[in-house]
Amino acid sequence: MGEKVLMKGAEAIAEAAIRAGCMAFFGYPITPQNETPEYFSRRMPELGRVFLQAESEVASINMVYGAACTGTRVITTSSSPGISLMQEGFSYIANSNVPCVVVNAMRGGPGLGDIAPAQADYFQATKGGGHGDYHSIVLAPHTIQETADLMFDAFDLADKYRIMVVVLVDGLMGQMMEPVEFKEWVDVSKFKTPEWATVGQGDRKERNIITSLEILPEGLEKMNLALQEKYKKIKENEVRLEEYEMDDAEYALTAFGTVARIAKTVVDMARADGIKLGLIRPITVWPFPEKEIAKRAEQVKFFFDVEMNEGQMLEDVKLAVNGKKPVHYYGRLGGVVPTAEEIYGEFKKLLGGKE
Amino acid sequence: MNIGTNKKIQWCPGCGNYAIYSAFKNVVERNIENGKLIKENIVLVSGIGCHGYITNYYDLNSFHPIHGRVPPLATGMRIANDLLTVVGFAGDGDVYAEGMNHIIQAARRNTDITMIVHDNSVYGLTTGQFTPTSPKGFKGRSTPFGNPERPLNPITLMIVSRGTFVARGFSGDVKHLEYLFERAIFHRGFSIVDVIQPCVTFNNTYEFFRKRVYRLEDTDYKPNDFEKAVEKSLEWGDKIPIGVFYEEETDTYEKLVRGHENFFFNRDVPDITEILTEKS
Ligand SMILES: Cc1ncc(C[n+]2csc(CCOP(=O)(O)OP(=O)(O)O)c2C)c(N)n1
Ligand code: SF4
Ligand SMILES: [Mg+2]
Repeated sequence: MGEKVLMKGAEAIAEAAIRAGCMAFFGYPITPQNETPEYFSRRMPELGRVFLQAESEVASINMVYGAACTGTRVITTSSSPGISLMQEGFSYIANSNVPCVVVNAMRGGPGLGDIAPAQADYFQATKGGGHGDYHSIVLAPHTIQETADLMFDAFDLADKYRIMVVVLVDGLMGQMMEPVEFKEWVDVSKFKTPEWATVGQGDRKERNIITSLEILPEGLEKMNLALQEKYKKIKENEVRLEEYEMDDAEYALTAFGTVARIAKTVVDMARADGIKLGLIRPITVWPFPEKEIAKRAEQVKFFFDVEMNEGQMLEDVKLAVNGKKPVHYYGRLGGVVPTAEEIYGEFKKLLGGKE
Repeated sequence: MNIGTNKKIQWCPGCGNYAIYSAFKNVVERNIENGKLIKENIVLVSGIGCHGYITNYYDLNSFHPIHGRVPPLATGMRIANDLLTVVGFAGDGDVYAEGMNHIIQAARRNTDITMIVHDNSVYGLTTGQFTPTSPKGFKGRSTPFGNPERPLNPITLMIVSRGTFVARGFSGDVKHLEYLFERAIFHRGFSIVDVIQPCVTFNNTYEFFRKRVYRLEDTDYKPNDFEKAVEKSLEWGDKIPIGVFYEEETDTYEKLVRGHENFFFNRDVPDITEILTEKS
């Protein structure tokens, strides 16, 4: 690790990706994440790597798809409306088993919405969005430091499973400044072109074909089952979460990203008042920490899910809790960020006169 | 007659959008007064970008849709109801990048819509990135070392896409803009006016163009010959032509596919508040 530098989240994303060995960026301008491409546009040429501003998000994701097929570490970053346009590409990328990284700095929707921070793309990111039975690994950091760390993991996971990894942040994380310490540079001179890549055939016997097409249903079912096998492995091995003050907790908050950050303050406020509140913070929102939450359902009296959307992760929490304990929800929509006091107030309403 | 609104105009002082705004306002007001346009039948569609705010400042029915999609949305409106005068306002990023495909198809199809492109050669609202009409070498927010790409010529593109009215205007010449907008609106079929619209904040080109532009209407150029129009559209250097490059009368798409049938009926579609308050 090097020294700490003060950085905006949007810039830390780019710097971390570069250090993780990202060789090409393709993207299209959109607020609130223009600082990320801007940073890439300065740094990539200095390093002999590629920054390309595409004509649209549809072009961007297809450029990513193309570069990914050659086994190159590649990224695109955008925000909600732009990510919506990329969904077709995501679905094809999934069934082609090519690795890439996508950052979504979520803003208020639906439609043009606004440019304020939101979490309303949770469903889209974790349950598909594009067509077909597919998943992407979805990482949801809650600080700039964690974002910088997860960018490295995003590329590693993408390569390890030949899968698209989504880093789900929001405009607030992008604009916030925090001291960051970056991991060591990945030595790109050691990169080898993977066996499966569609580069020149050379003296390999078999030619490589990357496609998501299989016209025979039985054949396509096989492709699908192989995908599901991969997803099962990822679910078994890659679930990540943070449990904050959960050891003796009687109540559990569930939250991700920016809200989880605020929720930590809520936990501290409750603890100061002698209330045993804890926080379960999924870091991978797909794969979702089902087992861990199910276990806590034996322990806590109820769950309180807080999000900046109409209750999207709430569905996954409820599935995990499976009716064992009540799951309550509070959320703000349209880019409104709830305060710690507000969440704590809502929590105390749930306690009623009991405490 | 005043079709202005009391909304505070948000453009930077000196922005080329003001010229487009007042030229269009004058043309519409004049033609509503003389009965050539019916206020209730005018619908404006605007893209996403600084230019898109324009619909806030006219007291006319308007529609603020998806970035890049003004031409298909305007097409849909016009096909659904050919009593409408449909005018689309779009940005250069909007219509020559994100939605480039659509403007080509709209030109070729020849539905009776008017496109006014606020061409400032920059993404204004996202604060200063290059667009397909930015010159090579342009230093913007995403091109610190200069834009490596060569620019697109929208006039040539629109002519070869068989647009039936293709013109270029300049925000430094409001009177001429009025002339072009009026002709474009009353042209039967697809019309486009690409307006050189300096963005004083991110790409101030007033001086550059003031020195170079001249009106085609002040010369003996006739906009009725396809090949000559293509050739004229390529003129770009010490002298840059503004005015009508090409014009042609031919059947519109809506005329060809359904004669004069109109799909529009007075329908009893409830207001959203009625839906929300309805008792079951
Ligand atoms: C799908 C999608 N991608 C990106 C954006 C972000 N965005 C907002 S306005 C704009 C373009 C502005 O450029 P231009 O069309 O030239 O209009 P100007 O601001 O210069 O008038 C962009 C890219 C968006 N709103 N939607
Ligand atoms: S940024 Fe440029 S285009 Fe946008 S309002 Fe200001 S001067 Fe006009
Ligand atoms: Mg523009």
